[in-house]
Amino acid sequence: MPRGGWYSVGVVLMFAVLPFVYGNHALLFNMMMYLVLAQGINVLFGFTGYLPFGYVGFFGTGAYGTSLAILLLHLPPLPALLVGAAAAMLVGLVLAPLLKLSGAYFAIASLAASEVVYYIVSNPHLTPLTQGPYGISLVQTYNAAQSYAVMVAVLALALGAVVYLRNSNLGLALQAIREEPISAGFAGINVVRERTRAWLLSAALAGLAGGVYAWHVSVFYPKPVFDLSISVFAIVFTLFGGAATLLGPVVGTLLLYGLYNWIGISQPEYFQLVFGIVIVVLVLFLPNGLMSLLRRIRVDVP
Amino acid sequence: MTKYLRLRRWLLACAALPMVLLGAAASQAAVPKEIRIGTLYADSGPFATSSLSQLAGLKFWVNEVNRQGGVFVRAYGRKIPVRLVTYNDRSSTTTAATLYNQLITEDRVNILAADFGSVLTSVAVPIAREHQMLLFDQTGTGAAFFTRDNPYIVLTSLPTSARWPYALADFLKAQGKIRRVALLYATNDFTGSQAQTLRARLQGSGVKLVFDHGVPTSTSSYALLLHNIQASRPDAVIEFGFPDNDIAFLHDLQASGIKFKMVFTIFPGQLLALVQKNVGAQTLAYTYTYPTPPLLVYNRVNYGMGLDRFSRAFHAATGTQPNFLNIAGFNTGLIIQKTLDTAPNLRQMTLRRSVMRFSGKLHTLDGAFRIDATTGAQIGEALPVGQFIPVGKGLTVRMVYPPAIATGRPAYPAP
Repeated sequence: MPRGGWYSVGVVLMFAVLPFVYGNHALLFNMMMYLVLAQGINVLFGFTGYLPFGYVGFFGTGAYGTSLAILLLHLPPLPALLVGAAAAMLVGLVLAPLLKLSGAYFAIASLAASEVVYYIVSNPHLTPLTQGPYGISLVQTYNAAQSYAVMVAVLALALGAVVYLRNSNLGLALQAIREEPISAGFAGINVVRERTRAWLLSAALAGLAGGVYAWHVSVFYPKPVFDLSISVFAIVFTLFGGAATLLGPVVGTLLLYGLYNWIGISQPEYFQLVFGIVIVVLVLFLPNGLMSLLRRIRVDVP
Repeated sequence: MTKYLRLRRWLLACAALPMVLLGAAASQAAVPKEIRIGTLYADSGPFATSSLSQLAGLKFWVNEVNRQGGVFVRAYGRKIPVRLVTYNDRSSTTTAATLYNQLITEDRVNILAADFGSVLTSVAVPIAREHQMLLFDQTGTGAAFFTRDNPYIVLTSLPTSARWPYALADFLKAQGKIRRVALLYATNDFTGSQAQTLRARLQGSGVKLVFDHGVPTSTSSYALLLHNIQASRPDAVIEFGFPDNDIAFLHDLQASGIKFKMVFTIFPGQLLALVQKNVGAQTLAYTYTYPTPPLLVYNRVNYGMGLDRFSRAFHAATGTQPNFLNIAGFNTGLIIQKTLDTAPNLRQMTLRRSVMRFSGKLHTLDGAFRIDATTGAQIGEALPVGQFIPVGKGLTVRMVYPPAIATGRPAYPAP
């Protein structure tokens, strides 16, 4: 088993078993969704250094790609999910030139790009194709149990992808690009190709997550699936746990999303205060995430 | 033989007595201490203002019934206190989905009511259906929620949005002097469906749409559009938007100095205080709207408080005058109350059947309650057309259509 493999199996098994002991399956589903998105951010930001604020654009594209494949092509949900992932990758390919930018410029440009995708999808003139701003209804294919099971599979795929990157030459190449792209190029790494592969892999994960989300909720409007807060949550969870590791985004999502829901359910009046304090403390004292604490005491974090 | 039968009956009675007593005791024990009603609200985000108003109305109903010892639950033959279980979804559909599930699976509420509007209701529809919980949809009027194969939804306080412009279209056709109409709408499910209805109902009537344009819901500047509309020389301008759209439209109309013979907007009829505070009474003078309670008074109330009594009680309890969404929330409480009052048990399909039994017979301060038996959509309430008439520094509403409830003739063209 490659390094981190057992942890991945453990996480997947946990989400496969939890529905039998905990009733709020939507919470578990959303947690898995954010785990997949956080790992998608991890693939891109952790391994290549690009921070995509517009990551939700791929999520929304996946949601719409899947939905339209069901509605227009009359595909069953599983093949439709592949269409959703392909649509997200296609958008990723079109937006690949954004990778010429770096730092804040890339972050802002990706955000603008996701807004462009949102406005195209929700354009009233495209109503016959995308339902425009009037929303999607997939009630005929709604199946909460199946969509939950498929999200477990997508989670396994996302964790598997990061395990692969943590243990492969591609992952090493990407980290070399992140640290010093020019030197990486001199060392024989095809910089453009490798980071485009990471970009498309990241887009596909978000597309799959968006597609399963669309299937799971079955009735939705364009704005909620292109909502910036989805990007922000996934980024915060990744940074909180620690990027470029397998466990960082997992721990970040489980802790922060768990806290988000725990406070939201039990102490909603303190939500913004507590959540804000946690994030400020993290940024000030643990900028590299919780996993950096373990690294300081020389624990090998997968 | 007769003696044997008597003995047998006596023995059976003796045997049955402890069972009856035990059953009665079990029945007593099974009476819940409270009826849990679960709902969500948003204290931040785009739906906060409306959601909090709606929640305030529902809370007021809960306090009123608890003050009287609780709500009568026919299933137990007694009054039982009501507990409102609420969570804050912060206008997020993802959070709302989690919290609706929390209400159903962890809090095990007896009654589930949706948050404000179509967006936050949309995620509740499949969840309620999956868990076979009847969703009391308060103001989520999206037509897609109401399908023949889903019995687990009832729209309590408004008709589906596609039905809203029925009276408006008829008014435009009946007016006689209106031949050219400009239609401007925000492109979302709520107003888009109204635009579609208006278009369909005006078709072939001799009233021509000379301007038909959708704008993003986020639109906040209408100056250029107003000049385009003016260039089309309409006899009437219909603007369908959310409160922010209506306020921006009316504000820009006032600033532009353009005068139209007739201007219609939606939300002054529901949130008059808010719109008037933002654009002023002068801008609203002689414009048209869908008046809803408290601007519209339904006198034929056979269940719950009438509008006057409600307004006084609500003001005494909260210190504010009620708006339509307060009334919508309160009305949801009344529908729940009637459901519990008539349902022989608390099984969700029984609740739905009970709603059907009183549908069409109930008249509250929010008007007639009648739902479509096949879809659960509200079809009882019709939204009339009213015109704001200036009175001193304030405004009053004159009902102008339909004729059955009209209180005066429209001032057309606007002075």
